[in-house]
Amino acid sequence: MNAIDANGVKKSFRGGMSLAKREVLRGVTLDARPGEILGFLGSNGAGKTTTIKIVLGLIRADEGTAELFGHPAGSKEAALRTGYLPEMPYFYPHLTLGEFLEFCGRLSGVPPRLLAERIGRVVETVDLSPHRDLRLKTFSKGMLQRAGLAQAILHDPDLLVLDEPFSGLDPIGRRLVRDVLVDLRARGKTIFFSSHILPDMEALCDRVSIIRDGIIAKTLGLDELMRLGEGRIEITARGVRMGTLAPLHEYVSAAADRGDETFIVVRERRFVRPVIEHLYGRGADVLAVAGVRRSLEDIFMQEIARPAVPGGAEASNADRPRDPAVFAGF
Amino acid sequence: MNRIAAVAINTFRESARERILVVAAVFGAVLMGATVFLSPLAVGARQKIVMDVGLAAISIIGVLSAVFLGGTLVHKEIDRKAIYLVLSRPVSRPAYLVGKLAGVVLAVSLIFAVMTAVLAAALVLGDAALRPAVFAAVYLSLLETAVVASIVVFFSTFTTPMLTSFFALCCVAAGSLSNDLRVFAEKFGGAGTRAAANAFYYLLPNLKVFNLRHEAVHDLPFRVGDLALATAYAAVYVAAVLCFACLVFRRREFA
Ligand SMILES: Nc1ncnc2c1ncn2[C@@H]1O[C@H](COP(=O)(O)OP(=O)(O)OP(=O)(O)O)[C@@H](O)[C@H]1O
Ligand SMILES: [Mg+2]
Repeated sequence: MNAIDANGVKKSFRGGMSLAKREVLRGVTLDARPGEILGFLGSNGAGKTTTIKIVLGLIRADEGTAELFGHPAGSKEAALRTGYLPEMPYFYPHLTLGEFLEFCGRLSGVPPRLLAERIGRVVETVDLSPHRDLRLKTFSKGMLQRAGLAQAILHDPDLLVLDEPFSGLDPIGRRLVRDVLVDLRARGKTIFFSSHILPDMEALCDRVSIIRDGIIAKTLGLDELMRLGEGRIEITARGVRMGTLAPLHEYVSAAADRGDETFIVVRERRFVRPVIEHLYGRGADVLAVAGVRRSLEDIFMQEIARPAVPGGAEASNADRPRDPAVFAGF
Repeated sequence: MNRIAAVAINTFRESARERILVVAAVFGAVLMGATVFLSPLAVGARQKIVMDVGLAAISIIGVLSAVFLGGTLVHKEIDRKAIYLVLSRPVSRPAYLVGKLAGVVLAVSLIFAVMTAVLAAALVLGDAALRPAVFAAVYLSLLETAVVASIVVFFSTFTTPMLTSFFALCCVAAGSLSNDLRVFAEKFGGAGTRAAANAFYYLLPNLKVFNLRHEAVHDLPFRVGDLALATAYAAVYVAAVLCFACLVFRRREFA
């Protein structure tokens, strides 16, 4: 049984001034399998938060169904097993972190005798132990975000739904959240999170569902992710003379000189060896070989932005690895 | 039950730390203190005025704090989406509303406690006997506040704080008159007017029931049975209003 099963979810909102309804979700279908980290990727306004709210039963789908562990979204059974971090969460400013977590724990039905110990543990996990007795209104944005994570994992839920868990965090905070999520997955928990920070997603997710204009454009598995992520391979060499590279045109997609160094982009992995041997054979010196992975960002731009903004600046950005003109400008 | 208590305690904590609560309590205390010093009358008459002003202040300040505290608290939670943290947990929406109401009433009880203590001190220092009627009057005012708070919670499930406060105050004003209106209609109105006045009477709370101030001030007898009746009336009224609030709230989306 899947942790999340959303099937053909549709949702319209009435626009502000006009009475016309606008379809924000046009049939979202996605599933989070037990024990995986499923990323939820989409540009601003694509419908991520709306989907998440439907999954949690905070709003109702017009059509389609959403189930958590086989229970309808919003049911008590589903809520018992789910932890949620809202986008831009608001916390009660007058409460201390400890009081706030106590409140959350009681709402989630954590037995009172376990509560103190649980709170101590999650506060430790998100690195807020020294601030336990401070009012939440004195917290910084990053601290609030971590407090939000603490309340989401407090009752040890089987499913975590996180709406932009990395927003407002510095690199150390991001690292911390990442470690927490990886640790939870290792303990068999399912995690569903949306994010704009693509490297975080690339490093964490088993699968990524990409939403565009209210519909899932694509769901990529780990192997597809890896394959898509295979990018260019760059060789840096010195002493490459005019004409040295000419016989390599089938192996090399681009090359550019900068000072006495030359950057060479190899088309495929299997061409690395012949290219290097050729360079050595012609008296050139190889200084570095680097595999530059295509980031999810590049993929994202190609899958999402290109059809939406044909010929836009962002779309051509995604082509950078293959574009010798850009490359020459190193 | 545990969850209702959690919501109530949280609401109480939040509101107890709101400045408005402190302001209300201090204002009430100062008002009563001032009456003691400012009324240049014979001792017996002065005690009557202190009691009169004191009990009226308790009632009015109690009702007003319920209106403003309750109106903003529930709405603020919806508006700032703190409610996501609550309703994504296994808490039913009715339980949430009951908890909210209980929390507001608890917070207002705090004001009541402070003001009652000040009033009692003023009376004792002025050598007046502390009659049970004084406490009975305070108790009824608290019931009145609970009824008003439930109306506030009802409106706050679907309107803005401004409108919530406005509607609630209208209900208070009309509720204080609903008895008179009905009597008036009985005497002078036709069938239509009588029916309207009756509907009005049953829909709005009859706040007269909660007023024992006259008896307390003038040391008139009151019946314990009336207190029980008022308690039962408040309980039924609050329960009915909460039912309507739940009906509205159940359909509510938090987008
Ligand atoms: N309550 C609402 N009323 C009207 N329109 C809404 C409402 N909530 C969301 N929308 C619209 O639905 C669309 C999707 O919003 P949503 O918040 O789901 O996007 P998102 O993918 O989470 O974006 P972001 O990355 O900016 O958080 C937006 O165009 C938004 O304007
Ligand atoms: Mg969003």
